Amino acid sequence: MWRVLSRYPRLLWRLQGVAGQALLAHKARSFFVVAAVAMGIAALTVIVASVDGARRKALEIVDFFGPDAVLVLGGDIENRPVGQRTNTLTWSDARAIARSLPGAYAVLPMRSVRAVTLRYGNKNHEAPTVVGATENYAATWNWPLSEGRDLSADDIAHGAKVALIGDAPAKALFGDASPIGRTVMVKNLPVQIVGRLSYRGFTGGGSDVSVDDRLIMPISTLTQRFNLDRNYFRGLRVRFHDPDLIGVHMENLRALLRHEHKLGPTIPDDFTIMSASEILKFLTAFTGGLVAFLGVTAGVAILVGGFVLANLMFLGVSERRVEIGLRKAVGATSGAILIQFLSEAVYLTLAGAILGVGLGVGLGESLSRLGMLELRLSPKIFVLSLAAALAIALAFGLRPARKAAGLDPIEALRGGGE
Amino acid sequence: MTGQTPPGQGEPLIRLTDVTRSYVMGGVANTVLSGVTLDIAAGEFAAIMGPSGSGKSTLLHILGLLDRPTSGSYRLRGQETGTLSDDALSHLRNQAIGFVFQSFYLIPYATALDNVLLPGLYSDAPRAALTRRAHELLEKVGLTAQARHKPSQLSGGQQQRVALARSLINNPDLILADEPTGQLDSGTSREIMELLAAINRDAGKTVIVVTHDPETAAYARRQILVTDGRVARS
Ligand SMILES: Nc1ncnc2c1ncn2[C@@H]1O[C@H](COP(=O)(O)OP(=O)(O)O)[C@@H](O)[C@H]1O
Ligand SMILES: [Mg+2]
Repeated sequence: MWRVLSRYPRLLWRLQGVAGQALLAHKARSFFVVAAVAMGIAALTVIVASVDGARRKALEIVDFFGPDAVLVLGGDIENRPVGQRTNTLTWSDARAIARSLPGAYAVLPMRSVRAVTLRYGNKNHEAPTVVGATENYAATWNWPLSEGRDLSADDIAHGAKVALIGDAPAKALFGDASPIGRTVMVKNLPVQIVGRLSYRGFTGGGSDVSVDDRLIMPISTLTQRFNLDRNYFRGLRVRFHDPDLIGVHMENLRALLRHEHKLGPTIPDDFTIMSASEILKFLTAFTGGLVAFLGVTAGVAILVGGFVLANLMFLGVSERRVEIGLRKAVGATSGAILIQFLSEAVYLTLAGAILGVGLGVGLGESLSRLGMLELRLSPKIFVLSLAAALAIALAFGLRPARKAAGLDPIEALRGGGE
Repeated sequence: MTGQTPPGQGEPLIRLTDVTRSYVMGGVANTVLSGVTLDIAAGEFAAIMGPSGSGKSTLLHILGLLDRPTSGSYRLRGQETGTLSDDALSHLRNQAIGFVFQSFYLIPYATALDNVLLPGLYSDAPRAALTRRAHELLEKVGLTAQARHKPSQLSGGQQQRVALARSLINNPDLILADEPTGQLDSGTSREIMELLAAINRDAGKTVIVVTHDPETAAYARRQILVTDGRVARS
């Protein structure tokens, strides 16, 4: 075989033509192998794309959340005891944290209003969340503005009727035009847009609502104009100096809040503390199951593809005994026969790989549209698929190809003629 | 050529010396050829005859380097073949020998033209020259119009003519035919034998035909009779 490869490049080239012609002559059989391999490669494509997608999403969440921050929400959102209130975080909690929690340097209270209709001209948009925030919202959340300015201390102090607009409502109300300086009706309150948040493109922890679908207003304005409970916050964001000690900080924070809320030793927390890694854990547990399922599927599908290839090739070798015997009689060496049959296998699996990547991308798109997966397609997927295809061809095609190469020409010719 | 031995001066194209071939099956040796000694000169047209099972095909396979003798010597073009590797034998078959079989053995999914080209694929000749020669050969056997036909679209006689053209593509010295008229009616058989005679006469090829049909054998100028694994008369 190596002699054929090294000494006869012309022969090697011609054998590719021979292999191609043989494949076209056996279309039905070729199709089955291609289809079987394609299934495996499709599953592989979805897995690689979803693992990459999950990793990217994880990085985005850490980036967005900040590695040095935790979010405290009212109520135990994981296992909410019956009858537990979610309005449990107060100004006095916020002050206690700022005053006596070691390592904490910023405590940002958050209030929000759900499902608010925004109106501009004759266009309406239902924003899932209007967030009440303190100054420098964009800066503290590591969320760059694509236009305009951030909320200022003055805005907060005076309860200014200004807002930062997320990418989704900006597109819905203004299309491609700039929203800066425009006045939007938030329910019945005219609010001037002063900044536009850049596109983030992912959904927040656990929900399927895009983080881009929001409006940010000074917390003072929101509280006054929407008659919110002045005593309680939906959440508090606490930032620490040393992100490496975040675990310790969280324990301290928990102890402090339990003390503030006067919770006895048998009473569960009436708040939830989340860090970026907590959110990641939730996310990976969710995608991990799907990835494991697809991984097993891909492995099985690729194995099945390989066995289909091997069996149909064995069948082909016995059906084509006369052809093989004849080729050897007229001067084909065993190496030339081996290369012909291996080439046939390689072409089938490569075709399967290309079809499989196509199928996988299609399948992945549907899954991500259904919100089940975050996909990231990269050239790596293509390279990996081709490598897998080549491996299948060589691993499963070698034995039948060697069988063909080892046939005795007289035996082979006798097998099919007289 | 690959061999170290220079072609023997004045040695015939083919020299078999005391060639035996036996098969061992279930511990029992079945001797098919026992001591065949035979010279065939370049340019001869010979028929190998004999009853069925006498070892004619076995002899032809040895002559065609498809099989090796159990013992004895086969010198082709003055070169001892027993010491050659399988790859060297493949190369020699490709360059020096053309085969014609009883059942034609065309590749079913390839056109007549591609079937003629087949031995050329495994040679070093450039494609363009091969294709030109394949068309010439198809014209010689009267199949210019059928060049693009698949074997299934051809009659038996036409298929055997494609096989004849195929045997000549690499311009070998020796044409070996095993019962080439065995599946053809007598009219078509005559056409094929005329073509083989012409190949011998006009192109100077050595032609050896295995047959048990006296009418077919009559085309050859020399008859070699094989009985019980020996050359009884030549
Ligand atoms: N591969 C083989 N194994 C065992 N016996 C064989 C084999 N090939 C041929 N023979 C035997 O050799 C004898 C001669 O066969 P063959 O050369 O085909 O005869 P012919 O062509 O004259 O009819 C037969 O008896 C056949 O059974
Ligand atoms: Mg025979």
